[in-house]
Amino acid sequence: MSETIPASGAVPAPPADAMSADERAAEERDARGGAAGWGKYILTKAGGALCSLVMVIVLGFFAFRILPGDPAKSITSGRQVTPAQLEAIRHQYGLDQPLIVQFWKYLTDMLHGDLGTSYVYHEPVTRLIGERVGPTILLTGSAALLSLLIGLWLGQRAAWRRNTTFDRVHTGIALIFWSVPTFWFGLLLIFLFSGTLHLLPSGGMMTAGTSYAGLALVVDVVRHLVLPVISMTAVSYAQYLVIMRSSLLEEMNGDYLTVARAKGLKEDDVRRRHAVPNALLPTITMIFMTLGGLIGGAVTVETVFSWPGLGYLTYQALSAPDFPVLQGTFVVFSGIVIIMNFLAEIVYRIIDPRLRK
Amino acid sequence: MKHRLLTKIGAAVAAVATMFAVAPGAAIAADSDSGSTLRVAGGTNYDTFNPFNATMASTTDVLTLVYDSLVENAAKDNSDAPGLAKSWKVSDDKLTWTYTMQSGAEWSDGEPITADDALWTYESIMKNPDLQTAFGSNVESIASVKAPDKNTFEITMKEPQAQNPGNVWILPKHVWEKQNAAKYANDKDVVGSGPFTLKSYDKNSGVELVKNQKFWRGADKVGFDRILFIPYKNTDASVQALKNGEIDYVSGLTAAQFNSLKNDPNITTYAANNRRYYSMAINPGAKDINGKDMGDGNAVLHDKKVRQAIVMAIDNKTLIEKAFGGYGQEATGEVPAVYPLYHWDASESDLTLAYNPDKAKQLLDEAGLKMGSDGYRTDKEGKPLELRLLVGAEYPNWVQMATYIKPWLKEVGLNVKVITESYSQVSDASSVAKYDMYFTGWGIGADPDWQMSINRCSSRPNADGSGQLSESNWCDPEFDKLYDQQHVEMDQTKRSEILKKMQQMIYDAAVNDVITYQQALVAYRKDKVTGWVAQPTDGGIYTQQNGYWGYMGAKPVASASGSSASASGVSPAVWAGIGIVIVVVIVGGVFFAKKKHANADDEE
Repeated sequence: MSETIPASGAVPAPPADAMSADERAAEERDARGGAAGWGKYILTKAGGALCSLVMVIVLGFFAFRILPGDPAKSITSGRQVTPAQLEAIRHQYGLDQPLIVQFWKYLTDMLHGDLGTSYVYHEPVTRLIGERVGPTILLTGSAALLSLLIGLWLGQRAAWRRNTTFDRVHTGIALIFWSVPTFWFGLLLIFLFSGTLHLLPSGGMMTAGTSYAGLALVVDVVRHLVLPVISMTAVSYAQYLVIMRSSLLEEMNGDYLTVARAKGLKEDDVRRRHAVPNALLPTITMIFMTLGGLIGGAVTVETVFSWPGLGYLTYQALSAPDFPVLQGTFVVFSGIVIIMNFLAEIVYRIIDPRLRK
Repeated sequence: MKHRLLTKIGAAVAAVATMFAVAPGAAIAADSDSGSTLRVAGGTNYDTFNPFNATMASTTDVLTLVYDSLVENAAKDNSDAPGLAKSWKVSDDKLTWTYTMQSGAEWSDGEPITADDALWTYESIMKNPDLQTAFGSNVESIASVKAPDKNTFEITMKEPQAQNPGNVWILPKHVWEKQNAAKYANDKDVVGSGPFTLKSYDKNSGVELVKNQKFWRGADKVGFDRILFIPYKNTDASVQALKNGEIDYVSGLTAAQFNSLKNDPNITTYAANNRRYYSMAINPGAKDINGKDMGDGNAVLHDKKVRQAIVMAIDNKTLIEKAFGGYGQEATGEVPAVYPLYHWDASESDLTLAYNPDKAKQLLDEAGLKMGSDGYRTDKEGKPLELRLLVGAEYPNWVQMATYIKPWLKEVGLNVKVITESYSQVSDASSVAKYDMYFTGWGIGADPDWQMSINRCSSRPNADGSGQLSESNWCDPEFDKLYDQQHVEMDQTKRSEILKKMQQMIYDAAVNDVITYQQALVAYRKDKVTGWVAQPTDGGIYTQQNGYWGYMGAKPVASASGSSASASGVSPAVWAGIGIVIVVVIVGGVFFAKKKHANADDEE
């Protein structure tokens, strides 16, 4: 795959070759000074991202105040509480302050990197998020990677052999899984592999009460990872398959493919080295969008498999409502999506020379 | 190149398959050297294990096993029983309670448990507002506490009360006085007095409790060496885990889950009488603490006859059967039957509001709600009448109940609009009396004093819903008189009589129609655990008790103790075999697929 592509004006450089192609293109097409163009581009995009971030921070505070429910009451619900106790709790949380004072405290704390302290857990929100980032990324990351690989691979195959049995079967299966409710599919997997076949654990990230270390720990975690990753992958790989398939179909009739074939390249090489790189662009956008969403976790899968992730933390916080946790996760999740979108814009410009004109 | 890729995939698959094969054997080895373990499907959310701040049920269920109060609730009938105090007496003026501590009792670290520990605990809560989250209301009416000697602890009340004030968890002073008590996490190697101590807490693997070898009732009375609360976020998965042998006990089952486990040969299912009631509140015309009208309850409900008619139009037996799968006790008053001392054991003639649609129609006629041509009654001025029923969407039982109640009330001519919304919205609406009817429920403590207290006129809230808490926005000076009487009545028989009378008054007022005492549905591995002690002993709950009797009594089944091999029931050799088969199948499949692809490429 690392061989250089035969020079051809109609063939844009594949991602593997992106940087050098970019430099070449910059020299050729933007002789007045690519650096200035880039600077302006990045500044504009960064400015936009910053604006969004500020909006998110402001919105993060006010949006959740609309939620019904009194945190002090719901935290103590079902227990004997005196009005004095409720007042003390509200005071402890600063809920007895005017909204604008609370907002100011929220803003200044956030500038110091302090997302507040959870009402429910009595722990800093940064710590709560920090503890769950690892497990969340492990789950969503593995699932995203797997669905990306499966989706792209099947997608290009399906396009290349459009309207064959392979295409119809795989596109069909993918769309069926895509339409299946995650919750139901996950439970089905548990029912089959845990409840009936006793092959895999039914939930959690590691076997409780054990003190595994090293390889044994890895094996244990992977065993717990299998079912949640399968259910997440199954319901999501279709999006990559469909995108890859349709964008490759658009390239299929390109003259450069005929040229490639005329050079005597094997069919597989024509597809892999010439058609696919050109079809990847829409997928790149998709990947960055997915990357941004990874940290938010997957509430349903986390719930079904009792995975200690961020999605479930956020979901639980809604019922209190635990304002600091909601605000903190909202700002962090949105921040990452904004950053990823920003990066996507830059990468897009790097790999697609047409955008630089 | 493709060949290499496929080889890699094959290798990865083989590695995964080996994991299937290896891990169960490893799990057995890790389990067997730590004695007998009870694995419970626990919650995933624990607020804090600091007993001053802990309020979530998941957390207090754990801490109940770690700490004792001076006075516990007996397993037999929830009555007061010796805890860290072996006896107590009340002074003639009913103001001073004197407790004699158990002799020779020790904390789990070997330090003696003395009256000083009780003194430190009570004083800390009374003096420091930051420590009142959990026990503030327990110490509210205490004037002072003192410890004249190591074995004697005295509580002096501001005014007499019948309820024993020795119901606060006593903490080890020698551990806590060195800490910032309000912030101390208390989630590792905890020093306690109960049958188990909290060894560790991890958000991923849950809570680990180990037997307290110094337990003052005798460590030999504790069945298991270790209890694990393993986090499960949904009971469907924990049901499968129970079948899979990953856990030994699961609670909080739905009727459908419970029924599905009934026929499993390794599992015992148990429907326990519980201490929780479910009801429908009817707005009698709420007034705030200053006697001003509040909320927007329909005016026709101010008439007791209309409220009584609504209660009579509802068939509680059918609701228990249909909405609770039959797993609920028939109810009378607010105190469930698991508290025989205070439960209103009403005779049939006492239950004047039992299901009777004809009588309901008659009462509505008497109240002047005339039947219109469309089959619905109008209000007293002849205007169309619509009553709102608020339903918390998170509770499937309630949603189902509403589908029965709406047609039943239509049958007697009342038009009901069912509004299903989040429970916090319902809760917000009810605290400012913006409802006609709504479903609610309460878990009832061992002493009903507090539950009754929130029905007093003085418990009505401020106009904005802040301040005091009123259970049903109802107020009757006669009820308040009875409350004051029972509050100071030291004679158990007399006090019980008054409390039953008070429940009857709430019943007759038709402001809170108690529909059922829902049963707790649990299941456990009969090949792993036995010896559960219920509270009350006759048909009560095993866990979530007022005390630690269930977990203390649970013990391993003799043949299964010390090994969890029976959980998987498959020998390592079989596992290895399965692993090999999977590898062969997958590798074979990959080669086959590769061959087929090559052919396909040739064709094109």
